Amino acid sequence: MKIKYDTRKNLAERIFLLEILKGLGLTLKRLFSKSVTIQYPKERKKLFPGFRGKHALIRDPNTKESRCVACMRCATVCPARCISIRFSKDEKTQARKVESYEIDALRCIFCGYCEEVCPVNAVVLTEEYEYSNYTREPFHFDMERLLKNWDEFVEKNKIDPEQYRNPFLRPRGRSLGELPSGKRIDVPEEWTLEGQVIWKDGRAVSAKEVVS
Amino acid sequence: MQENKAESKEIVREEMAYEPYTIAMGPQHPATHGVLKLDLELDGETILNCTPTVGFLHRGVEKLAENLSYAQTLPLTDRLDYIASMANNVAYSIAVEKLLGIEVPMRAKYIRTIVMEMARLTGHLLWLATHALDIGAMTVFLYCFRERENLLDMFEEICGARLTTSYTCVGGVRQDVTGHFLESLHAFTEDFPSKIAEYETLIDKNRIWLKRTQGVGVVSAEDAVSLGLTGPTLRGSGVDYDVRKHMPYDAYPYVDFEVPIGSKGDVYDRYRCRMEEMHQSNSIIRQCIEALPKGPICAPDAPDLVMPYGVQKKVAADATFASGVIKLMRDNEHYIDGDVYVSAEVPKGELGFYFVSDGRGVPYRMHIRSPSYIHIGALPFMCKGQMVADVIAIIGSVDVVLGECDR
Repeated sequence: MKIKYDTRKNLAERIFLLEILKGLGLTLKRLFSKSVTIQYPKERKKLFPGFRGKHALIRDPNTKESRCVACMRCATVCPARCISIRFSKDEKTQARKVESYEIDALRCIFCGYCEEVCPVNAVVLTEEYEYSNYTREPFHFDMERLLKNWDEFVEKNKIDPEQYRNPFLRPRGRSLGELPSGKRIDVPEEWTLEGQVIWKDGRAVSAKEVVS
Repeated sequence: MQENKAESKEIVREEMAYEPYTIAMGPQHPATHGVLKLDLELDGETILNCTPTVGFLHRGVEKLAENLSYAQTLPLTDRLDYIASMANNVAYSIAVEKLLGIEVPMRAKYIRTIVMEMARLTGHLLWLATHALDIGAMTVFLYCFRERENLLDMFEEICGARLTTSYTCVGGVRQDVTGHFLESLHAFTEDFPSKIAEYETLIDKNRIWLKRTQGVGVVSAEDAVSLGLTGPTLRGSGVDYDVRKHMPYDAYPYVDFEVPIGSKGDVYDRYRCRMEEMHQSNSIIRQCIEALPKGPICAPDAPDLVMPYGVQKKVAADATFASGVIKLMRDNEHYIDGDVYVSAEVPKGELGFYFVSDGRGVPYRMHIRSPSYIHIGALPFMCKGQMVADVIAIIGSVDVVLGECDR
């Protein structure tokens, strides 16, 4: 497709600066329209679930401890290698016990792979982004700190830890068979493979509705 | 009288005979779009020679990729062209899929096309904003960021990040789209052409804009091809080449769009090209939303994040704990060896990924054919004989991003 344009101006346009007046008219019109600026420290934008922010280890409501089983998947998949885990093994049962779980948030590139591969939904990136500091030390999260991050997140946003749903805990649009048992949590219908949305008659509808 | 004047001019010239002098533009110059340094050899205000220096933002992505699995390299591609990271994700994924021989489900193809065109819009909006700001039109800058903000919000909704998206995965996409996303995007596409009209009202016929852009940085079609230009920079010169049309990938064969082509090859034609492309992207997004099929979003035989290849997924799932998984990840001899080059049309031009695989789970060598690097190589050609102020307009019009150039 050849682009056609004509930038020549007629006499009136040349003398009366019409195109500049048009531009000024537009900015004048915009001056009286609603402002799109968010006055940040006073107002805050609501983040969408699944925003990849501050790290946390979910405190299990039943055991009051982390769910981590030291399977090392997060440490293996991390492209920045910012997760380090030490564990000990029980001689008899071969069960693993997490000795230390450390995340260096300054190395982290926030790709969300750790929370996606975690088979028990232990590690999560919370919707929390304001944690700047003056030194490096506060960004070195150990297990205690990570659990505290979770408590702070729960308290600050007044969420029910049992009801907390994040698209990375159960990726949207994946069938149950693909997921380990720990990730088969209840999610809104829209997030499941069966309830996925398609476009019909000018609005997004569940694919389920269209069949029936 | 006239003779006299000519004589005196000659004398002044002789008296003021000087060597051409050199100034360094950048790397901290705000209008070089990053850390680009240009050594300009000047005669008065005319440019005799221009030598670009790149590499200030070199992070060694290609070398890093040799030690990371295919899934792990994906987040690094966000940091190439950080203005439109979705497009890089898609380009990387289709390259790996070709290497591994994976067929992506239809729904994932459509979603990828949507996000790729959204990335094109974010890229072009930021290009228009900064290009206009460099030349002196500040209002356009503010208006473009208003729409870009909406698109970034939608990115945040589907993948959890505004800039470093990491949205695709090998074999599909990581997250399905939501109803709210589709509806807000559809509303956006309905509104967007009027917004483009607003930008055009401000600068399209503005006499300052025309003076600064028309006849500046002219590249003929032959030169553009021999310099290796791609994308709107090439199409502004009148060459019909678009990877989306000529080597279609994802859902581009199923949508209807046109490739805008300029004729003169100056800064203004490249500007017009990109503006038309925004209209086309808008229409592609609409078509894709309306035709979005249902179905899975990831190929069943695609490698998992941790498990390197699909055939061994079951084995890896049984080997629940570290030793098994790490063993599978490191000692695998199941990939097809050979090399593959796949390119995609990103906002800047043709972004290509070249893999040499020796059958392991990590590439033996990865090369990125980044359009910005090649476009910077064409700057000396475009700048020669122009004025210093035109360099800013030319850099803006070829749309370089130094993160992609230096990678």
